[in-house]
Amino acid sequence: MTRILFSDKLDNCVTRWQSAGFSVIGPVTKDTFSSYAAVEHASDFDLGIVLPDRSLKELFFPQTEPMLRYTIKQQAINTEDFTPPSGKRLIFGVRPCDAAGLSIDDPLFGWDYKDEYWFQRRNDSVIVTIACTKSDDFCLCTSLKLAPDTTNGSDILLRPLENNKGWQVEELTDRGREAFLTIAEFLQEGSEPAAPMAVVPEMFDLDTCVAWLQNPENFESKFWKDISMRCIGCGSCTYLCPTCHCFDIQDEGDTYSGIRRKNWDSCSFALFTMHTSGHNPRSTQSARWRQRIMHKFNYFPGKFSVNSCSGCGRCSRQCPVDMGITETLQKISTLHS
Amino acid sequence: MITQEKYRSKAKKLLADGSVKMVIGYSPGSTADRRRPLFVRSFEEADQLVLDSNCIANLSGYLVTEGLLSDEKRVAIFLRPEGIRSLNILAAESQLNVDQIIIFGFDSIGREVSSLSGEHAGEFSELISSIKENPPEKSSEPLLYQIEQMNPQERFAFWKEEFSRCIKCYACRQSCPMCYCRRCIVDSNQPQWVNTSSHTLGNFEWNIVRAFHLAGRCVGCGNCDRSCPVNIPLRLINARMAAEVLESFDHFAGMSTTQEPVLASFKKEDSETFIL
Ligand code: SF4
Ligand code: SF4
Ligand code: SF4
Ligand code: SF4
Repeated sequence: MTRILFSDKLDNCVTRWQSAGFSVIGPVTKDTFSSYAAVEHASDFDLGIVLPDRSLKELFFPQTEPMLRYTIKQQAINTEDFTPPSGKRLIFGVRPCDAAGLSIDDPLFGWDYKDEYWFQRRNDSVIVTIACTKSDDFCLCTSLKLAPDTTNGSDILLRPLENNKGWQVEELTDRGREAFLTIAEFLQEGSEPAAPMAVVPEMFDLDTCVAWLQNPENFESKFWKDISMRCIGCGSCTYLCPTCHCFDIQDEGDTYSGIRRKNWDSCSFALFTMHTSGHNPRSTQSARWRQRIMHKFNYFPGKFSVNSCSGCGRCSRQCPVDMGITETLQKISTLHS
Repeated sequence: MITQEKYRSKAKKLLADGSVKMVIGYSPGSTADRRRPLFVRSFEEADQLVLDSNCIANLSGYLVTEGLLSDEKRVAIFLRPEGIRSLNILAAESQLNVDQIIIFGFDSIGREVSSLSGEHAGEFSELISSIKENPPEKSSEPLLYQIEQMNPQERFAFWKEEFSRCIKCYACRQSCPMCYCRRCIVDSNQPQWVNTSSHTLGNFEWNIVRAFHLAGRCVGCGNCDRSCPVNIPLRLINARMAAEVLESFDHFAGMSTTQEPVLASFKKEDSETFIL
């Protein structure tokens, strides 16, 4: 026997969570476009999509965020901090790759300086993940040694039953258990079997790729030029990626008053590494694409023992010139290190 | 298929006899209907070229890749009519020497692909004039028509909603053959003319700046619109600007390699309705 949440009880749960003080968020499709957004009712969720177009990261690390306000008057400089917004959130219907993305970035945001914007939101949020029974041509979690029912980063894992009847409930953390205590009366014991998981074929052997990337001789390989010739250097892959985390600090305003903001930035842009002198150490797109791959599969794991990719496939799905992590790693896996 | 074979052989011939150093075309992509840009430098690689109705992207932007044409060697490129128009503009704006470009022109109706006759930019002027004279039916773009019927408040609300999704990834700019500036105005930070933040104001600033810089230059290839990862209907903005310059100045972008840029030229008979 396992605990079951039946679909027809989901709206009761949403209402209950809301009265318990949670803002309830989940995958929502508007016109042709989907993202994680606040809902009023369970019927606002779009649980039928493979995964939302936009990733979960932006609920923790928004594209632009005010940090402080400054005013300078005569001799006096005044600053006023913007503290991260707080408030309990329950994010329902998260995809395992998006949840895993959060756990990948946790050590990064907590390494030397504890980023209070990230962690305030992490502590305030309950992640209720639904394992995947559907995938598309671009999903690659299994190639990253994850799976359609990976629990990394989740507080609750729900396993779908056949015919969208509901979900088996697996509580993973105290935070998840607490949030599900509030809806205990809507859960039932049952023996309904879970629907089969999505079958996501492995696209490359990750260990072979990592070994090639770690070999310093390959840093200057002709491979980088060939693979990235068509890359136009936009920020689409980085900005949709649930794990890309680079940002830029900008003062908006004038000499006397303004706001300091933290904005997304991308290693695909030439400006990312441009020096004041005009010299650019990463002067070609191939050097920038190499950086993105090296960072994800060599430098980041070297520091934090985890790859900076959860296999959501968004970078390939949305690339204007049909590039992405998959093609690059597939090709690397066939090279001889 | 016939057109694909014809151009494959032509690519092989030009590469083999050294008349071009590269052919820029399309290859199969990661799904059945995706095509990806391909840079062919040898006889053997030419067999990877595909040409069918899924070859939609305007590839002309690759011609201004830094250093590509500086050795004065020639490059061949697959272009649809809009691509040829954007090549004309690149030449008219002194971004390249058009004599270095061999055009593999093509177009498609439904799934049927046909080749265009001519291989140098100057040979397509009749075709381009006929496109100018026969604009697409209004009904082909119902959303544009719908927006034109809105009052200014409704229109503002419409675009505010659309731009609220913009993440400033600049895929629209990077994919646009007309956005070739080595340093875009939004990347200038001494002074910072345009906010880099992707909030409502910043997103408006960005999209309006781009719309103005494309006025009279956009050829309607749709690269920006297809590249936008958050599905903002960018083509509508540029189509509107194109209609505006056509009506006010009888200017149709990309007519020839010597066409004067509409916003950088002045004629006594220009209408001045917009000067208050
Ligand atoms: S790989 Fe694709 S999405 Fe990423 S920067 Fe290059 S063109 Fe843009
Ligand atoms: S690198 Fe690509 S596949 Fe990996 S997490 Fe980022 S967007 Fe997803
Ligand atoms: S492509 Fe779309 S999201 Fe990206 S900057 Fe342009 S309008 Fe914004
Ligand atoms: S603005 Fe868009 S449609 Fe116009 S030329 Fe540029 S990419 Fe093509």
